[in-house]
Amino acid sequence: MSDKLLEMAYAAAKQAQGHGADEAKVGVSRARGVDLEWRDGRLEQVMERTRSSLSAELYVEGRYSVISTNDLRPEALDAFLAEGVRMTRLLEPDPHRGLPDPKRYEGRAALDLQLADPNHGAKDSAARKQQIEALEALIRESSLPIISVSTSATDNRSESARVHTNGFEGARQSTSSALSAMVTLKDQGDRRPMGWDYTYQRFDEDLQPLSKLAAKALHRAANQLGAGALATGQYTIGVNRDAVGRLLGALLGPLFGPALQQQQSLWDGKLGAQIVSPLLSLYDDPHRPRGLGAALWDDDGFATRRRPIIERGVLSTYLIDDYYARKMGVAPTGADLHDLDWAYGDKDAAGLIKEIGEGVWIDRFLGGNHNSTTGEISLGAAGRMIRGGALAEPIAEFNLAGHFGELWSALVAVGDDPDINRSERCPTCVFEGVQLSGG
Amino acid sequence: MNYFEPFGVDEALLKLGLERALSRGADWAELFFEHRVSQQVGLEDGAVDRAYLGVTLGVGVRVVKGDQTGYAYSEEISRAALSAAATTAAVIADGPARPAPIAFNATPLPNRYPTARPWAEVDLSEKMPILQRLNEQAFAADPRIAKVRVGLSHSQGAVLIVDSTGRVSFDLQPMGRLNIGCTAIDGARRESNGANYAARGGFELFSPQRLELLSSEAVERTLFLFDARPAPAGAMPIVLGAGASGILLHEAIGHGMEADFNRKGVSVYSEQLNQRIASEHITIVDDGTRLGDRGAINVDDEGAEGQRTTLVEQGILRTYMHDRISAEHYGVAPTGNGRRESFRHPPLPRMRSTYMLPGPHDPAEIIASVKRGVYAETFTNGQVMIGAGDFTFYIKTGYLIEDGKLTQPIKDTNIIGNGPEVLRQTDMVGTDFKFDDGGWVCGKDGQSVPVSLGMPTVRVSSITIGGVN
Repeated sequence: MSDKLLEMAYAAAKQAQGHGADEAKVGVSRARGVDLEWRDGRLEQVMERTRSSLSAELYVEGRYSVISTNDLRPEALDAFLAEGVRMTRLLEPDPHRGLPDPKRYEGRAALDLQLADPNHGAKDSAARKQQIEALEALIRESSLPIISVSTSATDNRSESARVHTNGFEGARQSTSSALSAMVTLKDQGDRRPMGWDYTYQRFDEDLQPLSKLAAKALHRAANQLGAGALATGQYTIGVNRDAVGRLLGALLGPLFGPALQQQQSLWDGKLGAQIVSPLLSLYDDPHRPRGLGAALWDDDGFATRRRPIIERGVLSTYLIDDYYARKMGVAPTGADLHDLDWAYGDKDAAGLIKEIGEGVWIDRFLGGNHNSTTGEISLGAAGRMIRGGALAEPIAEFNLAGHFGELWSALVAVGDDPDINRSERCPTCVFEGVQLSGG
Repeated sequence: MNYFEPFGVDEALLKLGLERALSRGADWAELFFEHRVSQQVGLEDGAVDRAYLGVTLGVGVRVVKGDQTGYAYSEEISRAALSAAATTAAVIADGPARPAPIAFNATPLPNRYPTARPWAEVDLSEKMPILQRLNEQAFAADPRIAKVRVGLSHSQGAVLIVDSTGRVSFDLQPMGRLNIGCTAIDGARRESNGANYAARGGFELFSPQRLELLSSEAVERTLFLFDARPAPAGAMPIVLGAGASGILLHEAIGHGMEADFNRKGVSVYSEQLNQRIASEHITIVDDGTRLGDRGAINVDDEGAEGQRTTLVEQGILRTYMHDRISAEHYGVAPTGNGRRESFRHPPLPRMRSTYMLPGPHDPAEIIASVKRGVYAETFTNGQVMIGAGDFTFYIKTGYLIEDGKLTQPIKDTNIIGNGPEVLRQTDMVGTDFKFDDGGWVCGKDGQSVPVSLGMPTVRVSSITIGGVN
């Protein structure tokens, strides 16, 4: 099937050139998925998704545009490509646009990343239905005051192909499956706190057991029962690995080319400098077998390789794609992040909570935002107090605020417990002296 | 229906799709055809040198039995593809087939998207000067402006909704949007901010006056940040300025009043219907009827006409926002809130334009009433936990209030509160109602839809400010 997609991509690139494009990148993808949702004792929704699309980046007389369509009827596609080329000609020229140097396509690793489960589909809808029904039953075994339980299963298979008219070609197939649980409890007054958990993997055999999902969803919901206020002040905080990604996103966002080139990055001029705690080491790890972010090439077609992003708190690289590199007059570094590998510690969440002794456990962030230009960050949060090295009373309606560079500089411990459901693979993290404000 | 004829849509195809959808005896079924053309043009570093053109085409088939839904979509419009999708969606039911409609009846709709120059008639060469003009105006406004980015985007969506009663609704939905972002440098300091505008209409939306307003807003909001600092931390009164503060309604109250959450018993408002939830000064409306508004709809995405729905009347919760499933669950008429991102999604109860009506208090009096607190003026985003009712919104710019006066500018501060509590603590409502015309996008269950909001100046007696002491 990938050969057919490659054929389509080559044919569309040729058509675009026939209409006047000098060069083109063309990608074609197809995907099929099935979702089942179960709620309170019965199937609530069945959904089948079947998608196909074609996108092209067009380079015409020094000008550039992107087009995409899922209307793949031959005459419609040809007319669309012609219109794309015509539109591109009207734009102002951009001397920095062009396909990457083909030498950067070289060196692609000869690895099987195991992106597609050969047994994908072995669990049909009836089997998935049994699983999500069983998941609800496990949650209902709890004595907590349950109002509602929703569970779901999702299976996806996709394939894609991409060609560049200067020699790049790539095709891949991938699969993924997910199971999730959501439970709503009755609390004081009208409050109905909700807890959830999910497992998301490329291979069905890697999905976590239902019992773990049920326990985690219940734990999260119970963490909010009778939640009280937090006194405003500075605290040592432990951040649940599921929530660390929110802080990591603020840290990494200003490393990308557009932020740097547009002078919207507080990390501008910091390459090689100590920007955060020496406990933070992050590596882009694109070749992890079955990795959720695994890839042999990036969006520019560059062959991927493992590389440090931050080592012992020192900024090792920016994340600059081919276009912004040309614009900035620097060498491209690749702008895609894949699976992340951390310098993990030697304690899990429970061990770190014990080590914190007195502080705040942040179970989740809610809303908020950050300023990539200056570093300010302010996020809503909920969690538990930590007293005597253990989780104590639930707390809600508080904010974390400060500067995200300073926050990551105050990192004092990293867990040994990566979140395997996300490519960021964040562990539990502990920060000292963090400003929290409560009611 | 004529619009979709070139894609092969005719009565025979509709009958086939509905026949397959009802083949296992569902209560009702619906076909949702969509064709959408969208374009974006961008300016960076002084040049209009990038554009995007996109086309989406497809049909979603929904089959409903009670409150159970089967859904499938096809991106190919053909007898075989529609038949396969409808057969898949039909698995939600398990009974004898029901007949498909014999005749189809087109529903006349109002026109709430007045459009002088449809996007399809405007060439890219006419749009490019708009971006250049915004760029020039921003740079001319202040020498500290170092970088400007401008984006113009528009779309024209055609939807055809056909259900198993034979009801047919066709709507052409235009949308235009402009964004401008600025970075300013003052000595060693840098700040970035921006402004945006969005509405349903055509090229006429971007008048010279609109461009002037947008560029000056973007520049002023950026330079404002040099004098601003994060707010102090802790609980204190907040005055929400008229207009964009409507995000409070959207996050703190609106989502909890979407009927699907209440039907499932997971909303904090699940047992509050016809009860007092706010002071008598507070009336909250969700409105799909405002001409040209970003949240306006002639028809929702399951064939119900867009309406003006009073959610809270003088403090009493009167109704939830319904789609067809929840309306049948509660035994009421749909409120025209059944919306979806595209044919790839089933509809859900969603907001349109959500606002609070003006109240009796002079806005100056509201500010003067606060000894020490925060005045919030512009916002970027918000979020809510439906069941607990806890919500946040992020203040991009505002002021401290000290002794009844606006003093120190503030920025980048998150606010967190509990929806029902904040509603009860909203004790002053201004006379100065204002709609916000920004390009707000609401996310729910992985679906994004355009919305708008509005608000008079209001005072909330206490809320938690996520600042720094």
